Amino acid sequence: MNEFDDVPGLIEIVEKHAETTIVVEPASVIEAATWLRDEAGFNFLSDITAVDYLGWGEKGVSGYIGTAAGRDLNTPMTQGYQVVPLAKPQRFAINYHLLSISERPRRVRLQTWLADGQPVQTVIPVWPTADWHEREAFDLMGITFTDHPNLERILLDDDWDGHPLRKDYPLGGEPVRFSGEK
Amino acid sequence: MALDKPLKDHGLKSERLLWPSKASKFEDEVNDLEQKVGLTTLAKAVAWAQTNSMWPDTFGLACCAIEMMSIVSSRYDIARFGMEPFRGSPRQADLLIVSGRVSHKMAAPLRQIYDQMLEPKWVIAMGACASSGGMFNNYAIVQSVDKIVPVDIYVPGCPPRPEQLIEGIVRLHEAVRAGVPPAYEIRSVAS
Amino acid sequence: MTATAPRRTGAPIYEGTRIPSPIPTVLKTSRELEATGDILTINFGPNHPSTHGVLRLVVDLYGEDVTGLAAVIGYLHTGFEKNMEQKTWWKGIPYAPRIDYVSFQNNEYVFVGAVEKLLDIEVPPKAIWMRTALAELNRIHSHLVWLGTSALELGAISMFWYAFRERETILDLFELVTGYRMHTRYFQVGGLAEDIPRGFYPEARKFCEWMPKAIDDYETLLTRNKIWLERTEGLGLLSRDDAIALGQSGPVLRASGVDWDLRKTEPYLAYHQVDFRVPVMQTGDVYARYLVHMAEMRESVRIVEQCLDRLEHMEGEPWIADDRKVVLPPREELHTSMESLIHHFKIVTEGFRVPEGEVYFAIESPRGELGCYICSDGGPKPWRVKFRAPSFVALEATATCMHEALIADMIAIVGSLDTVMGEVDR
Repeated sequence: MNEFDDVPGLIEIVEKHAETTIVVEPASVIEAATWLRDEAGFNFLSDITAVDYLGWGEKGVSGYIGTAAGRDLNTPMTQGYQVVPLAKPQRFAINYHLLSISERPRRVRLQTWLADGQPVQTVIPVWPTADWHEREAFDLMGITFTDHPNLERILLDDDWDGHPLRKDYPLGGEPVRFSGEK
Repeated sequence: MALDKPLKDHGLKSERLLWPSKASKFEDEVNDLEQKVGLTTLAKAVAWAQTNSMWPDTFGLACCAIEMMSIVSSRYDIARFGMEPFRGSPRQADLLIVSGRVSHKMAAPLRQIYDQMLEPKWVIAMGACASSGGMFNNYAIVQSVDKIVPVDIYVPGCPPRPEQLIEGIVRLHEAVRAGVPPAYEIRSVAS
Repeated sequence: MTATAPRRTGAPIYEGTRIPSPIPTVLKTSRELEATGDILTINFGPNHPSTHGVLRLVVDLYGEDVTGLAAVIGYLHTGFEKNMEQKTWWKGIPYAPRIDYVSFQNNEYVFVGAVEKLLDIEVPPKAIWMRTALAELNRIHSHLVWLGTSALELGAISMFWYAFRERETILDLFELVTGYRMHTRYFQVGGLAEDIPRGFYPEARKFCEWMPKAIDDYETLLTRNKIWLERTEGLGLLSRDDAIALGQSGPVLRASGVDWDLRKTEPYLAYHQVDFRVPVMQTGDVYARYLVHMAEMRESVRIVEQCLDRLEHMEGEPWIADDRKVVLPPREELHTSMESLIHHFKIVTEGFRVPEGEVYFAIESPRGELGCYICSDGGPKPWRVKFRAPSFVALEATATCMHEALIADMIAIVGSLDTVMGEVDR
């Protein structure tokens, strides 16, 4: 019986590295956010992080699954060698890092998965600080937030093309000539 | 008055022009050079005046700006070079110390500030990011500020120590006193 | 709407909320004022002596009242996060301090700490205590730079020289330990890069003895200074609820009456083993933020002294974890042990691997809650790194703090939010 079982739109709750991640449907983000703020006391939004999982696991990540203590032989079918990480549900994940500034300080991560082009409702009515975080996610990752009052580019030029933090956007820059070359 | 060849092609062997002492070999060389290149006493006086009160513009962008602020502080006192009034307005400034990484969004304001400065004006690219893009070889940072403004002196470092920046400033002063024209007269921006 | 004069001491923080709507971060001039035709729109920055870096504020003025304000950022966007995805975990460490270039050790620590959290590696006590000492020295450094520049902008020009005099002493300490003044890359995954040199402890003690007297100097110059009070009291009010709703943290939040410091509520490093107070003020104005900064400097000196007390007894202890899969083995071992050679080779060429997962690690930087979100795919390079910058969020509060303010107040208010544009724009 987890305290977060009543979150609207809940898909699953993941506990790893001493952190709780609540995964919800994209359509119920605003309800989940309101529930978390009002019922669970998470009055502080630390951060909104968008992650692009395009190409996740394609490069074989050979090596150990494990920690400082060594190979973890208990992960099934792998003998402790991790060849490919498990696939992700969609391409984009939006993580809302929440904090409860109260007598009982806790952190939680609200996570939702989006396909390319799928919008998600803004959480500005719940936490006004989301304004610039969402603009940044839009600017750098191309995620649209419906009902955002001012969804403009924030860090890049207004006429910039593309969303740089996506995995299919090149790093850019210049090729470096080395002095030993002829 | 522009030099047609580098200083060393005129036979100038030593590099540093610190406080000239009596009967130094360098003084003889400089006198020789003056005769060959034709530097007049008035030009020398003007150059002396320019270098002794070359006012920088406040163009601190990032980490290098913090080290640039520390040359104003009392330990690395830049007031002894006459440079402590950092002018807010580029119209009153002679020197643009581009200290920090220049993003593409900032490139236009940088050029605008440079254009608003009155001749003669000099540019020091302070730090690795201004000189070459530094560790940020990516979509966001202009790979060297000399693509935007002509640069006189590049000061390497990340961030350069205040002493390094002062070395850059001193070399700029020497170059000005030796008659080297500001960068916009001898080269344009890099491609 | 005429300007009200800044209120003097004793004014309560306001009722209700002052967060503008519909856009919480933009003050919009009202229709009636726009219709008068007397609104002047000016542009502050990005090159401006008083905006703490490349911040651009588009301000609507009605006489001297600021009726509209919008902040434009991004002039220092560097693409840190994308760059760090291309570098190994070890090579990514020098990127972190350049984000918030005034409190660089804290940035290094937040990145390194997040990686250590994912790796689940144990850091030796000597490294923990030294990191605490350096983080607190960095806090003092950051507050000194803030004090020097904010006071300079308000006209208290001598403060700049006094604050930077102490700052040079702190940078000397960093140089003594790490070899470089700023951006030291001394914090490594698993501990510290090198052992603490002899001679650090006496020098640090000298600094700790001198610093409280220096802070007394600054307070003599500013705290009861009539002009300073006139220019900072009653301005930039931010109530407790608005501050939390706007995501403020650090001195801004504590000046608004919220007793919240991550060093106490979620202790990391050695903060649960040192004794220090967290200053909290109730008035929520620029002056309160100034007082919080000054008090924090004093507390930081106390913390550094306590760290030195412990560190002096730790001579000869390891300064980095012993895990050969993550940390380079000592050079002497390379001559004799084949495994060490292989570990060294793998770590240097490919980089150590961090198990798959995501983690968010937050610390109390001098500006507030600095967080680092890391997502790893199990490989030698990060999949995603995101830094939660407190200054980015602090700038969101500018519109709320600028309620019915004059243009001269704007400099004081933006200064008091203690923003560093490197971290705003990343």
